[in-house]
Amino acid sequence: MIHRECGVLKTSYAADMALYPLPIAKWTVGVLAVIFFAVIPLALHEYYLSIANLVWIAVIGALGLNILVGYTGQVSIGHGAFMSVGAYTAANLVTRLDSPWPVNLLAGGLMAAAVGAVVGIPSLRIKGLYLAIATLAGQLIIEWIINHVTFISGGVQASIPVPRPYLGTMELSSQRDMYYFLLVFVVLAIVGTLNLVRSRIGRAFIAIRDQDIAAEIIGIDIFRYKLLAFAISSFYAGVTGVLYTYFLGIANYEQFQIGVSIDYLAMIIVGGLGSVLGSVLGAIFITLLPIVIRLSMEAFGGLFLEPQTVLNLIPNLRLMMFGALIIFFLVVEPDGLNRLWRNIRNYFRIWPFAY
Amino acid sequence: MSDETGFFLLLMSNGLLIGLMYALIALGFVLVYKATDAVNFAQGEFVMISGILVAAALGVWGAPLWLAVALGIGTMIVFGFGLERVMLRKLIGRPVIAVVMATIGLASILRGIGPTAFGAGSRPLPLPISDAPFVIGPLFIPPIQLVGGLVSLLFLTGFGWFFVKSRKGIAMRAVADNQQVAMAMGINVQRYFGLAWAMAGLVSALGGIIWGSSVGVDVNLALVGLKVFPVVILGGLDSIPGAVVGGLIVGVVENIAAGYVDPYVGGGTKDFAPYVLMILVLMIRPYGIFGKKIIERV
Amino acid sequence: MRQFVIGLLAALVALAGGLGTVSPAGANHEIVIGMQCDRTGPTQIVGTVLCPGKHDYIALVNSKGGVEGHKIKALEVDHEYKVPPGVESYERHKKEGAVTIDVYGTPHIYALTAKLTEDRIPGTSPGFGSAAAADGTRYPYIFPIAATYWSQGAAAVHFAKQQLGGSLKGKKIAYIFYDNPAGREPIEVIEDLAKREGFTLRTFAVPPPGVEMGAQILDIAQRFRADFVIGHLFGGAPAVSIKELKRVGYPLNKVVSFVWGSAEANIEAAGGFATAEGYYTMQFAGVGKDYPVLNEIREMYKKQGKPAPKEMESTVYYNRGVLIAALHVEAIRHALKAKPDGKITGTDVKAGFEKISNFTLGGLVPPLKITPTDHEGGGLVQIWQVKGGKFVKTTDWFSAYPDVLADHIKKAASK
Repeated sequence: MIHRECGVLKTSYAADMALYPLPIAKWTVGVLAVIFFAVIPLALHEYYLSIANLVWIAVIGALGLNILVGYTGQVSIGHGAFMSVGAYTAANLVTRLDSPWPVNLLAGGLMAAAVGAVVGIPSLRIKGLYLAIATLAGQLIIEWIINHVTFISGGVQASIPVPRPYLGTMELSSQRDMYYFLLVFVVLAIVGTLNLVRSRIGRAFIAIRDQDIAAEIIGIDIFRYKLLAFAISSFYAGVTGVLYTYFLGIANYEQFQIGVSIDYLAMIIVGGLGSVLGSVLGAIFITLLPIVIRLSMEAFGGLFLEPQTVLNLIPNLRLMMFGALIIFFLVVEPDGLNRLWRNIRNYFRIWPFAY
Repeated sequence: MSDETGFFLLLMSNGLLIGLMYALIALGFVLVYKATDAVNFAQGEFVMISGILVAAALGVWGAPLWLAVALGIGTMIVFGFGLERVMLRKLIGRPVIAVVMATIGLASILRGIGPTAFGAGSRPLPLPISDAPFVIGPLFIPPIQLVGGLVSLLFLTGFGWFFVKSRKGIAMRAVADNQQVAMAMGINVQRYFGLAWAMAGLVSALGGIIWGSSVGVDVNLALVGLKVFPVVILGGLDSIPGAVVGGLIVGVVENIAAGYVDPYVGGGTKDFAPYVLMILVLMIRPYGIFGKKIIERV
Repeated sequence: MRQFVIGLLAALVALAGGLGTVSPAGANHEIVIGMQCDRTGPTQIVGTVLCPGKHDYIALVNSKGGVEGHKIKALEVDHEYKVPPGVESYERHKKEGAVTIDVYGTPHIYALTAKLTEDRIPGTSPGFGSAAAADGTRYPYIFPIAATYWSQGAAAVHFAKQQLGGSLKGKKIAYIFYDNPAGREPIEVIEDLAKREGFTLRTFAVPPPGVEMGAQILDIAQRFRADFVIGHLFGGAPAVSIKELKRVGYPLNKVVSFVWGSAEANIEAAGGFATAEGYYTMQFAGVGKDYPVLNEIREMYKKQGKPAPKEMESTVYYNRGVLIAALHVEAIRHALKAKPDGKITGTDVKAGFEKISNFTLGGLVPPLKITPTDHEGGGLVQIWQVKGGKFVKTTDWFSAYPDVLADHIKKAASK
């Protein structure tokens, strides 16, 4: 967090593990809350809020994936499919039973958790690359099932329109309404993850990641915790899928294909594996990167090149920069944006004195 | 011979031939994994970029075929060496996901470079091979697939010999087995890593030429890369004969699925069936059919 | 470290500069068309030709003084065929004051349908998207403006009937399709027609990406022995289907392809026009270079001292781009006629679209008639055959089985 921690002496483990590591952190959080809940939504145009909304959706999904990949060390290339499970569960509930959105949200998450745990079963026997490819198979198989079972997909178009969520009698339809709606879940997801990773479960996950055999020896039931990691991660994914469905007003499996899974992996790697702040930063970075590249190219590219060339160049340049940045982070800053942030903070911590 | 038997034979021959074409792409993947323990999620993009390069050399610059092919192969070999030096050397010893993600990033770069440098349109990659099939009884054998299959088998024997008999091949196996011991024995580990990537580049170049000639060249050629995973998992990630056998199994399973399952399901099970088979194999033999049996278990 | 922090700050400043240059909405009297494009995603073969076609037409309109005295600004955003950037691009277009959105991609039109309707901005889905959206009463702000997959299916069956001597009784038709929602959409229509015309229909699914379809084609040619093949494939798959059909010796003049397997690019990738001789393609815009509007575009480039763009060689997609842009401009023209002060909104352009009738650009555009109830405009297509190194027109604009299509639209609405 953004503050200086002079003169703090922790005298117990409980204090060291507290959600707010420093007394002043409460104030920082308060200021951040004011910025995100009041300043940003009231000051910015709806367009920027729509970008913020895409970021919020990505944040929740990235947090979930980081629990699995970053904290538990199990690679998954099936995150997009778990989102689609949540999305279609909610869409079916709302069209068949007309259930309210909190029910759908929970049901979507739980269904995704169940499916995720099933896809996670091979993790008990295989790991690393083999597991990555097994989850890739899970992604393709789930896609195929949604695409072909009309009971789930609601017809050959495999897309189910979903009405806007209501809060009491207020319909949440504008980007500003959605901003608040999503932000609440982002806060819940962040606090939930922070609490999870400092709990018994979270420590078990980290133990499995760091040395699974040792973890088993100290009495961690690997079987249970690995499946739990898949389930929790998929629960987040399912909730992301439901939120996305409400955001767009439609559930459509083509929005959850393999490219999405890869984008989320990119987010947590660029952000920093095994870090909550990293998941948030990574989600922001990967979502904003193409937009920023495009806007700057539109602003400056015309100075040197023909407009038609610019139009062709922007998207390809974006692809290349996306790839190059991922490689850059992997090679130069393996701990991602989270580490960068800490480096900067450490720099300013003793600023203006160099040592 | 009844129609049904004839059709079955046709499906089988088609499956075996296309399986060898898959094996050609899987070989590049296996070579890298065998020697360096790295996985290449950009295998499809390697194939795509070499296909685009050769097609552009033929179509745009009007190079003769031998020169275009040589250019494609040469570029890919240099590219393999360079890639190892610039990117992969820095990732040695890092978790598997780091390499996976780095190659995914590389894939993204290649997909941007292809159209920027050579234009986005589809191009033919004409080889002096006729499209007219050889007809043997009920079978149609397309010459291009025959060539692809032959190249696969050639590589299989070539690389088989290389790894078993040649000095370099044995050194490469030593590197793959235990890098530290290999280094202690005076083997230049980094050079062999580079060599492995260059070999993967060579195989990809040929894969790009043959697949490109078969389906036309544009960015979508990279999608053949997705076929690689069931092939290599079935065969075993580090086994060259495994790549060929895996390819054959996937080819046959796909054709059986399309010919006999699709009519009852009403959807394409062709791409889906190999993955289901793959999951089953993973549960029974996690190291594939021919893979090294030292998979870590928990 | 210090250098790094400075570098980072510099990057942030540059970023803020980039964001700051987005011009505010409504600052000028240009009419803005929001244009989505895919120049890098899986359909880039289409996008890199289609989008220049749109821009060229709009440049042509502007070079002649614009529409009713107003210049048109086409704001293109590439979304790489991914949905989140598609949503973002829509919001961007809305912010820039776009009065009509040229949506690109089936998942995108699905994702934006609710938004477009709430914000009252018309969006078009030419040749893709949901066929049920032809129903203007149910989807007031969605305009397919070209033949939907249902219309294409009906037209393909009608064409097969003509080619097989006027009756399909007892004939066998194979429908080979890309196994995604777009590919499956026409099946219900074709199945109905099979009952009505008395032919046997078998469907053959090709799972994406469709780089290999030997088994399906063998089945069509050797086991099912189809009398006619209707193809509905995307990306590289049409080229593969042409090659495979050729290889098993199936006559290509018994094959008709839907609109996305019908371009020069597909034929080229299959090995050139000589290989694909006989192949029938379905088109929702005229093919070839011989249209007055294309001459004007070439003229415009000549005046600027530039050669005509190479995209014009790929006439199928380029002409479709011109068609799409022209229909948007035409809708704006009708809107401006109703409101000459230029302060038009999405609702006005919607009404403008619904007034489009008999706007043909010398044959490049079919004689559509878009009405408040029919947003498809009749579902007209032409069939062009690969013959002697080029596309040759086989039929004029036609549509088929309107009663069957109307039934399906009604059924979809009652769901």
